[in-house]
Amino acid sequence: MDTDSPATLPNATVILPHVLRTKIGNRSSVTVAGSTIHEIIDALDRDFPGLRFNLCHETGELRPFVNIFLDRENIRYLQGIDTPIHNGAKIHILQSVAGG
Amino acid sequence: MNTFSPGTILVQVGTKRGLFLLTSRDRKTWEVEATALKGRRIFYATLDQRSGHRLFAAENGDFFGSFLRYSDDFGLTWHEPEQGIQFPEASQQKLNNIWVIEPGRANEPGTVYVGVDPASLWVSKDGGVHWELNAGLAEHPTRERWEPGAGGLCLHTIIADPTNASRMWVGISAVGCMRTDDGGQSWIFANKNTRAGFLPEKYPEFGQCIHRFVQHPAQPDVLYQQNHCGIYKSINAGDDWIDIQRDLPSEFGFPIALDIHNPDTVYVIVEEPDGRNNVSEQFTVYRTEDGGERWEPLTEGLPAGPGVRLGVLRHAMCTDGLDPCGVFVGTNTGQLFASNNRGDSWHLVADFLPPIYSVKATMLV
Repeated sequence: MDTDSPATLPNATVILPHVLRTKIGNRSSVTVAGSTIHEIIDALDRDFPGLRFNLCHETGELRPFVNIFLDRENIRYLQGIDTPIHNGAKIHILQSVAGG
Repeated sequence: MNTFSPGTILVQVGTKRGLFLLTSRDRKTWEVEATALKGRRIFYATLDQRSGHRLFAAENGDFFGSFLRYSDDFGLTWHEPEQGIQFPEASQQKLNNIWVIEPGRANEPGTVYVGVDPASLWVSKDGGVHWELNAGLAEHPTRERWEPGAGGLCLHTIIADPTNASRMWVGISAVGCMRTDDGGQSWIFANKNTRAGFLPEKYPEFGQCIHRFVQHPAQPDVLYQQNHCGIYKSINAGDDWIDIQRDLPSEFGFPIALDIHNPDTVYVIVEEPDGRNNVSEQFTVYRTEDGGERWEPLTEGLPAGPGVRLGVLRHAMCTDGLDPCGVFVGTNTGQLFASNNRGDSWHLVADFLPPIYSVKATMLV
């Protein structure tokens, strides 16, 4: 993330699943800045250390059962973690449906 | 804060859906309680009493990764390390599961070891707050030829020799037993005479599917091993192994445990290898009292019948260090059996638990 010019970066509201909310002070969402999903994850990890490892492997790829939706679109069907962010975006982080 | 008085037996039960604690003062009546790790997939847990009461747990999440956690209040609140178990990005390795946690030697109270999949050993020198990868094992020259077992390429057993600060063993499926004699800088294979029946070469240098092994507390060169292909004993620190399966009805099983006060007394649970459950209709723990010369079936209080098909995973049997020895067996269908008389008789002390991954018994000091 380009921390030299944060004012130029789009802000996004990130809504986290219940199981991860203890990591963000028991809130349901936070606002962070970044121009791509990758930068949003970087910003989350900077503000809440360790959160990146919940979402991504060490290699940087998204964990297979973690889904990130930009507005209503799963980023896997956009540009993955390189998907660009617009100002005011709503980003939902969800776990995959498990079971039957 | 949870408190338990000294002398309490605390059994840490890691399950597919949470970490449970069982406590007893007399090993006859037991209290069961869930920790705050409700619903979490806990492969292993252990209480380190060398400096306080720090409870470690290996949580392998279904969705959001694997984490070592520790609690200083018997599971009410949990902490994550400041520098956790994560491979360097450049290594291109991904942490799959944390398998085992072992406190180090008594005279190194900050040292804790962890074994994970992909097979590697992690070391903390500060009670679990910061972790480092053991480079000697990670950079072993044969590593590219290591193959996983059905549970992954997992390092599941760690023994730090209490009599020799430079010597240590690890068990990796399906690589085998490895030993260091220089404090973890280099590692050698210790698999001679253990069989890999599933490979074209039946007695390779490595590639064995070791399932679990334990060390004799009074004779540190003596090790006992339950393998995918047999039960073995070493009297020379793993330089070679002796087959001690004798008349046991199967060579296949996962756990092995011993009575530290009578260390020629060893317990195994062999299974039907395809179904991975009891061989006959009688669920049975087997005991030797002479270091593997003879085995006897222990069945009093254990279930039997055409519908009894119980499996026990590698970390799901343990002893408690008391004399007479207590033995604990957790099944992959959520039953916990306990014996307070060396296995002579058994009682079901908990039922309807989630599938049990690990059982560790500790007397509180």
